[in-house]
This record gives sequence, C-alpha cells and structure tokens, in this order.
Amino acid sequence: MIKITGISKDFKIGVGAKQVRALENLDLEVQKGEVFGFLGPNGAGKSTMMKILMNLIFPDKGSASIMGNDVRDRETRRHVGYLPENPYFYDYLTAEELLWFGGRASGLTSVAVKKRTDELLDKVNLRSARKRQLRTYSKGMVQRAGLALALVHDPEVVIFDEPMSGLDPIGRKMVGDLIVELKAGGKTVFFSSHILTDIERFCDRVGIIIRGRLRMVDRLDHLLSTSVGLEDVFMKEVVQAGGEAEA
Amino acid sequence: MRAFAVVLVLTILAGAHIVSLRKLTDAARLMPKNEETASVVPPAILRITSLEFRSLVSDYLFLKSLVFIGSTFERTEKPRVKNGEWKWVYNTLDASTTLDPYFLDPYYLANAFLTWDAFMIQEDNLLLIRGSKHRDWDSILPFFVGFNYFYFLQDNVNARKWLLEASEKPDAPHIFYTELASKLSNEKNRTNNAIAFLEEMTKKTNDESLKDKYASRISYLRSVLQVERAVELYKKKFGKQPSDLKTLVQTGLVREIPADPYGEQLYLDSDGHVKSSSNAQFDVIH
Amino acid sequence: MTTLWPIMLITFKEGIRNRAIYAISLVALMMLVANFLICGMIMQEVGKVAVDIALSAVSISGLLLVLFVGINLMAKDLDKRTIYMVLSRPISRPQYIVGKFFGMVLLIVTTTFFLSVFAVLSIFMIKLSYPHYFLRFSWPLVLLALSFITLSLILLSALSFLFASFTSSSFITLVLTMIAYIIGHSISDVYSLIQASQFADIRPAMFIVKLIQTAYYLFPNLSFFDIKMQAAHAIPLTPSYIFWTLLYGLVYSSLAIAGAAMLFRRRELP
Repeated sequence: MIKITGISKDFKIGVGAKQVRALENLDLEVQKGEVFGFLGPNGAGKSTMMKILMNLIFPDKGSASIMGNDVRDRETRRHVGYLPENPYFYDYLTAEELLWFGGRASGLTSVAVKKRTDELLDKVNLRSARKRQLRTYSKGMVQRAGLALALVHDPEVVIFDEPMSGLDPIGRKMVGDLIVELKAGGKTVFFSSHILTDIERFCDRVGIIIRGRLRMVDRLDHLLSTSVGLEDVFMKEVVQAGGEAEA
Repeated sequence: MRAFAVVLVLTILAGAHIVSLRKLTDAARLMPKNEETASVVPPAILRITSLEFRSLVSDYLFLKSLVFIGSTFERTEKPRVKNGEWKWVYNTLDASTTLDPYFLDPYYLANAFLTWDAFMIQEDNLLLIRGSKHRDWDSILPFFVGFNYFYFLQDNVNARKWLLEASEKPDAPHIFYTELASKLSNEKNRTNNAIAFLEEMTKKTNDESLKDKYASRISYLRSVLQVERAVELYKKKFGKQPSDLKTLVQTGLVREIPADPYGEQLYLDSDGHVKSSSNAQFDVIH
Repeated sequence: MTTLWPIMLITFKEGIRNRAIYAISLVALMMLVANFLICGMIMQEVGKVAVDIALSAVSISGLLLVLFVGINLMAKDLDKRTIYMVLSRPISRPQYIVGKFFGMVLLIVTTTFFLSVFAVLSIFMIKLSYPHYFLRFSWPLVLLALSFITLSLILLSALSFLFASFTSSSFITLVLTMIAYIIGHSISDVYSLIQASQFADIRPAMFIVKLIQTAYYLFPNLSFFDIKMQAAHAIPLTPSYIFWTLLYGLVYSSLAIAGAAMLFRRRELP
C-alpha cells in the first residue's frame, strides 16, 4: 500500500550552508492490512518521512506512492488519513465543524459526513464537547479531535505521527483500541513512535530508523523471538549507529 | 493590616495623580505655544502622507483654523491676532484647500477673516481662485474674488472680469451681476456699486458678526451717498463746489456729516470727491 | 468549486469569530458617533464632512480587518501549522490558496457590508438633522465609494496572500502588506510629482525616475479606488473610469493570487 523508494532529504539549518541529512536512501514497503510501527529516537526522521508521504515536504531524491498513486497527486490523499504530531486546528471552529470540513473536503456527501461525525465523536468521546470551540479543548481533547478528523472519511491508509504523545493512559488505551479496530477492518496503519511499549502492543512489522537511515525492518514476532526484547534490539541499533557515525 | 496598607498606597497614588496632572496643565499653559507659527508641512508633502484620508485631513485642518480663530475672540490685547498667527491661518487653509479644493468652508472662513481682519487680500484671492477653478458650478467664489478686487484692491478691471465669471454660473443672478459688472467702470458710481456689492455679500453669509459688519458699512455708505447727492445739489444750486462739508450742513442740504467706520471724519478733496481721512490701507471706498 | 467551498467556509467562520472583529466594529462605531459631533461644527458643507468621516471609518476598519484578521488567517496557518489539517485532504496547493482567498473575500465583503450599513445610517441621520447643509449629495456615489473600498481591500488582501506564500513569519507579511498599502496610496501622487518636476527646474536623477515608474506598474495603485472626494462632493465619474478600475482590481488580484499559488506549490512545510 505504501511504497517508499530511495528517498533522501537534506535540510539547511540556519542562514549558513550547514546541511543536515534528515533521510538517507530510504526504501520501505507497507503491505495492505498491516500495522507498521516506525520506531526511532527523537529527530531520527520519522516525521520527515511521513510529511513526505503527505506531500508537505518534497524529497531531494527518490519517490513514494500510496495505493499505487504518487504522493504528489492530491487524489492520493482522498483515502489517506493523517494525524500530525502535536496537531493544531483553527481556534474558533467546533469539533463538529472540523469534521464537516474534513469529510466534505474529502468528497463525502453531507449526509455521510453527519453520520460519520456522530460515530467518530462518540468513539473518541468528544460528543459532549462537539459544539464547543476547539480553543477551549485540553491537549488530550485536541488529540482526540485530530484522530476523528483523520478517520472521518474512512480512509484505507492511516498515517499517525506519534499518536500517543501527550495522552493520559485512558487516551492511550483509546488510541490503541482504535488501531486494533482499524486493523480488524482491513485498513493499513503506518504509525511512528519512540515509545517501545506502544510499538510492541499493535505492530505486525517494525522499522527502526536512526539518524535518517532505516537500519532494520522485521516482523515483530520474529524480532521478539530472536532476542531479549524490543528495547534490546533498539539499543543495539542505536549503539551501532553511534559507532558508525564516529568512524 | 495588609489590605489597609494597599488602600493607603493607592489613595496616595491617586492623590498624587490628580495633583501632578493639575500642576502639569498649569505649567503647559504658561509655556510659549509654538503651535501657531507660520510654517506648516508643505501641502504637496501633506498630500502624499495623507494617503487615502486626504479629505479627512482637509476637514481637520479647516476645523483647526476655525477653532483657533474662535479662541481669539476672548482676547483683550490689541492687535487681537498677531500677523504671524494670521499667516498660520492662511497656511493651514492653504493646505486644507490643496488637499480638497472642493471644500467650501475653508474658502468662506478665509474670506471672512483674511480680508477684514488680516488685510491679506491677495492671499485670500489666491485661495478663492483655486476654489473657483474646481467648484466650477458655484458662483459664490468668483463673486468673492470680484468683491475683493473692487472693494479692497480698487481694481475695477479685474473686479468686472470676476463678476462676469460669477454671472455665468447656474446659481447666479445673471442679470444683476452682468449689470453691476457694467457699472463698475464708472468711478462716479462707486458708492452705489459698493452698496450693491455689500448687499449681495450680506445675502451670502450666515455669520452674524459678518452681517453686522456689512450692515454698518452699508448704512455708512448710504449716508455718504446722501452727502454726495448733497454736493451735487449744492453745485446745481450755487454753481460751484462747496468749500467744505460743513457748508452742506449749514445750508441744510444734509443733516449731519457721518464718520467712517473707523471713526475718522469725511472731507471734500480738491476734485470735489467725498473722501475719508482714515489711514486704513484697505476698506477705503474712495 | 465543490472542493473550494469547505475551505472557504471554515476560513470565513474562523475570521468572523475572531475577537478582533468586535474591536474593529467598535472603532467604526466610535467614528460614526464622532461624525455627528464633528458635523455640528461645520458651517457650510455638512454633507461633505459627513461622507468623509463615514467613508473613512469604513476604510480604516476594513484596513484593520485585512491587516490583523486577514493576515492572521493565512499566516497563522503557516506559523502554527494549522495548515496540516487542510493539506492532508485531497486539496492541491493552488486550491488551498484560492479557497482560502475566496473565504477571505467572503469575510471582507460581509464585514464591509455591515460597516457600510452603519456608515449609511450615520450619513442618513446627519442628513435628517441638517437637510439644508447637504449642498451636493449623491447616494449612488456614496454606495459606489463603499464598493470601491471593498474592492481595494480585496486587492490588498490578495497581495498579503502573495507575501505570505514566500515569507517565513506572519510579522514580515504584516510589514510588507502595510508597506504595500502605503506605497499603493502614494504612488500616484509621487508619480505625478516626478513627472511635473521634470518640466520644472528640479531634475531628479534618472534612476529615481525609473524606479518610481517601475513601482507605479508593480505596486497596486490603490488611489484609483479612493473616490471619497468624488462621493463627498457628488462629482460624477465616467463609466469608463468605473469599468477600468473594476477591471484593474480584478486583474491585479488575480495576478497576486496566481503568483501566490505558484510560489506556494514549491513551499515546504516541515
């Protein structure tokens, strides 16, 4: 469903010519119906890769496609749901209006939008706050509104960037249940996190990215069977990456 | 205890505020006001800096002049308004009419005060002529120019020209203006012409003090007219000019010799014309 | 059009619910009340001053709207990353720009409409109080002046979109838009000044003349839309002037938005 081929991206930092390699020659494929966990330390390039998939950033080299469509085509996003890290929304809209926008802009009819809005607001537990302006929402409520927005058009592919960040345990459970539900519905989930326990809970496959390079991609059960735990695997990769950087 | 201290401090501060403000107002009043100096931002620059609010700035400048002139009425010193201050008024009205040359009020204000009070006739005409160019539907401004040329500058040629220009406008009493224009070249008819002009000026003003000014001059001129007629009668009766004006009173041809609006006496000059000995540079009709 | 409508609507809603709208309306209201007081001091042409103040109130309020609410709507998207929620839909970059701009147009038209109602009311009440001092007055010209004000605000807003599409902060966009506004209203006079001085003794440097001429074509000539004086004195406009001004406004706005759309296509949103 998601096909990333040879993606490289450099960023210029500050006014000088100093370059930072955010992504280096990334190759990755996410299959239909699988839950893929993108694991890496802060600044590893996870968000960058996801933003490339959403055509918010343009790669220097390589290409990517979702469901066979190049990510640069806007039609691709009709069936993709995206939740950025720390989402921001228009202050003065209500959750209801936000979902109306998301649904209509993705091509849903007014009737369908109404139905999905009711369903999703229920699911993320925002029904009572639906008519309040988003600026009155707590961080957790904003995150949940973002989830609803990402799912309002019933997308085939879902891309979540650190979906658990800033949520309390109840919120995290809700997100987890949602991901499980999506998987059960045959949707493809591609999410990133730097929290190992979250990765361990839902993923079919895991990809570890450090300093812009994809160091390892493997089935979770396989990883766990051949080593002590995910943390171990992860730390080994970190050390190795550090060693390579110094060499 | 805490609350009491807070209230005490606040009360002291409030008192200090009132006292310092009062003292400051008094001190500012005593400071020399450099507001009414002759220089004002050059109108061309003001045009640019007013951006799209040119009309509004024009209104503001007019009101500034109006308020200033109004504030001088309470003054007791003589002269009531200094020359430099009149220059400021002129500059401000010049700027106002540069920004909006269609605005009638500044022209009215200029004409009311720059002539009678400030004796800046030429400057007044400059403004009025600018207004006439733009307010081409209006007869009042060219009429004012014509009046100024006739009454103050004693230039009958230009007076006639502007009176005729005024007569062309749709709101002008066409016949009256053209007839008056034709009479202007006749010096003998000067007093009558002046009365006609002043009566028309009275019609065109709403300001009471101006109306009084005109009225007093009209009545003065009427009595001068009587004196002139008396001189003519004397000539017819006795075949020669009277030696002086008192003779007219003695012969009963006129009841009394009026004083001019400046309190000066009239006299008869060598050509047999009734003249005023007033030193006023303008506002002399002979 | 169906893709644009959702963005238009949420842009409009976000703008109209901004607290600044209340402050702006208050400013306008104060000016319109002051109108009454100031007109009492005018001796002859009360009508002219009433129209001046009423139209200026709408101009100033509209300007505040474009500078503070308008720029906020566009630049905030970029500053605070609220743009993600829009661009994650199947919307292209140009569609985003055009949709937001149309939402902005809707906001400007609605706000100036309400401001205009109050302006007209203000003039009407003054006219009732001083009927003999409205020497030359024309309601059609007043309404046309209000329409032109709306159009010039739309033009300025389009420019602000262009600036926002390539600058990195909303503050820079604000400064650039203010500069464009100032140049827009003064360029005509400066241009005439330069041309006039070429016939007088003052000879400005050739480079200055060329600079001004370039600016005349590059920057929006907002003074064409300022017909307050004509409305105040009921000086008629030729149909050709009205037509070309409308066309100029439309063309310039379209160019600005097209430029913004093109620049925005290449913009990265990390």
